Amino acid sequence: MKEIYIGVDVGSVSTNVVAIDRNVNVLFKTYIRTNGQPIDSVKEGVKQLREALGDVEVLGVGTTGSGRQLAGAILGADVVKNEITAHAIATIHFVPDVRTIFEIGGQDSKIIIIKDQMVVDFAMNTVCAAGTGSFLDHQAERLKIPIEQFGDLALSATRPVRIAGRCTVFAESDMIAKQQFGFSKAEIIRGLCDALVRNYLNNVGRGKNLEPPFVFQGGVAANKGIRAAFERELQSKIIVPEHFNVMGAIGSAILAKNYIEKTNAKTNFRGFDAADIDFSTASFECKGCSNRCEVVKVSMEGKVIAMWGDRCGKWTNSL
Amino acid sequence: MKVSFPYMGSAIVYKKLFEFLEHEVIMPPKPTQRTMDLGVKYSPEFACIPLKMVMGTYLEAIEKGAKVLVTSGGHGPCRAGFYGDTHRNILKSLGYDDIELIIFDAPQDSWRAFFRNVQKIRNGVPWHKVINRMYTLYRFVQKLDELEKMVQKIRPYEVNKGQTTQVWNQIQERFDKIKTRKELYKVYEECKQLLFSIPTRKVDEKDRIRVGIVGEIYVVMESSINFGIEEILGNLGVEVERSLYLFEWINDNLVPWILRPKRFKEIIKKGQRYIKILIGGHAVETVGHIIDFKERGFDGIVHLMPFACLPELVTQSLIPKISKEVDIPILSLPIDEQTGKANMLTRIEAFIDLLKNRKRGKTKEVFIDNIQEHVQEERVVMV
Repeated sequence: MKEIYIGVDVGSVSTNVVAIDRNVNVLFKTYIRTNGQPIDSVKEGVKQLREALGDVEVLGVGTTGSGRQLAGAILGADVVKNEITAHAIATIHFVPDVRTIFEIGGQDSKIIIIKDQMVVDFAMNTVCAAGTGSFLDHQAERLKIPIEQFGDLALSATRPVRIAGRCTVFAESDMIAKQQFGFSKAEIIRGLCDALVRNYLNNVGRGKNLEPPFVFQGGVAANKGIRAAFERELQSKIIVPEHFNVMGAIGSAILAKNYIEKTNAKTNFRGFDAADIDFSTASFECKGCSNRCEVVKVSMEGKVIAMWGDRCGKWTNSL
Repeated sequence: MKVSFPYMGSAIVYKKLFEFLEHEVIMPPKPTQRTMDLGVKYSPEFACIPLKMVMGTYLEAIEKGAKVLVTSGGHGPCRAGFYGDTHRNILKSLGYDDIELIIFDAPQDSWRAFFRNVQKIRNGVPWHKVINRMYTLYRFVQKLDELEKMVQKIRPYEVNKGQTTQVWNQIQERFDKIKTRKELYKVYEECKQLLFSIPTRKVDEKDRIRVGIVGEIYVVMESSINFGIEEILGNLGVEVERSLYLFEWINDNLVPWILRPKRFKEIIKKGQRYIKILIGGHAVETVGHIIDFKERGFDGIVHLMPFACLPELVTQSLIPKISKEVDIPILSLPIDEQTGKANMLTRIEAFIDLLKNRKRGKTKEVFIDNIQEHVQEERVVMV
């Protein structure tokens, strides 16, 4: 029977599930739209994993992403870790000499600076440069171009067009203006890719010393137009790893593997039946003191299995 | 007079102040989502978050019956100096003509205005009593701050999660009831014992992580707006110290300059290495404290700034340079009504991972090892 470690990355746009073996070979990966339903998408991912791999023994489970706590509670994860560390771990495994990681997902954009295989600095979009992936999606839809062809079309452009990329709202109106001037779709898309990369490097990478090798990952790394824009802007080669869109999930699987191997612990994994169990979340305002915390409660078939959000630990510790 | 004031940090101190002056005190509620909603609704969009939250607090205090609102003004070119007047205008436009807003600007700007205000809130209490009670309040703030600093050093090592915070809440309740100086010293000693009796893990000196919190005063002092960052860090096993405590603020701003401790001047001097002129807000202090924390052996800095706060924006743009020159990791967190907690938690966790790596070694093996420790800490919160 195959022995595997499962990694789950629950983001705002996509939920990724991977399975790796003891040597970090990726045996299975899936990329599912979260659609605002993280519980369903986690279940769906695990179900797909079971169907694809058949009989397996799960040695450990790790979760990451903004939904890491929820996914951790549902699956019974051994490791619950933030996505910056998870991404760094996976990238260091595949590209050991990496110095700079660009990670652009549906909502968040990050830059992680690595030195001697160690995270020494990182930045995440603050109030702007958020939602790059979602914005590209939206523009593809507006221009009636399948998102898969978006990058190729950008590459076919011959002239550069400058699009204002400070803010996506203005970028969109600028794109429309340039359309009215008569620029082709391809040229406008190339201009948009340049603008997003420029904005990302200026905003997220502000003041950071970016050194090659550069690794580009996250869902947006599939877009050849953005890749090319990066290469133009940085005058350097950009590495896109094979599993670029599920690196966070791989990272959390590696973390779970390291944790289990080091501690010889038995996994907390609830088993594949978790996909059939009824989970629900609810939240309430605790009136115990003036903090008025919003407490999140996860129940499994009516029984409360996890709570968080309370600052004093009254509910978290009540289980 | 039914007096209220903006809620910031240990608000019982301000309550005590007005109780000592024999006012009827309307305690403003601790800012919540509702406070923010109210504040955002009635404030200019591009004002920074402290203005909005204080606006919301005023409206909630007025609902509870406050007639007089007392606040501090500004000094130097930060627009906080206009906030009092902005608030006054907004209140007027909402039809609250009977609400009096008393703004204490820096006394050195106009001593006459300052004393006029003092006369107003003195409420006819004889001067010798005022002086005596203000001295009690001064010690009250000092003792409360001392206890809070202890809390921040005990919380990361507590065995029972959440216990330190519970004790801290009890301490504040007990301080709230204090009437005399004698009582103060007694309660202080008892509270200290209460803190020392919290069971803690033994952690080696070399494994301790210390983080300094710097930035604009409101977001640094008021936990409801900064997501309780001190608790978040404490729960991740990190010792915390703020750049600002009320006692030090009083010493730096209200105590006559001859009696002031030297520390403040030193901090300003350190800050002026990077910001030479006064640009308002706490920019120079923020930079000074970053350097000071580094010199005192801290491992990292969390820099809090209200979104669109110009002085802190200047600081933020200097941070890559400072971080490199003094060799200390700094995490800047802009705070606004739009700030999401999930995003903020991710940054803080990753930042602490980074600090642990830096502290404990430089090989890949250690890197992974550290993460596991962190994981175990985090698991306590899980199920």
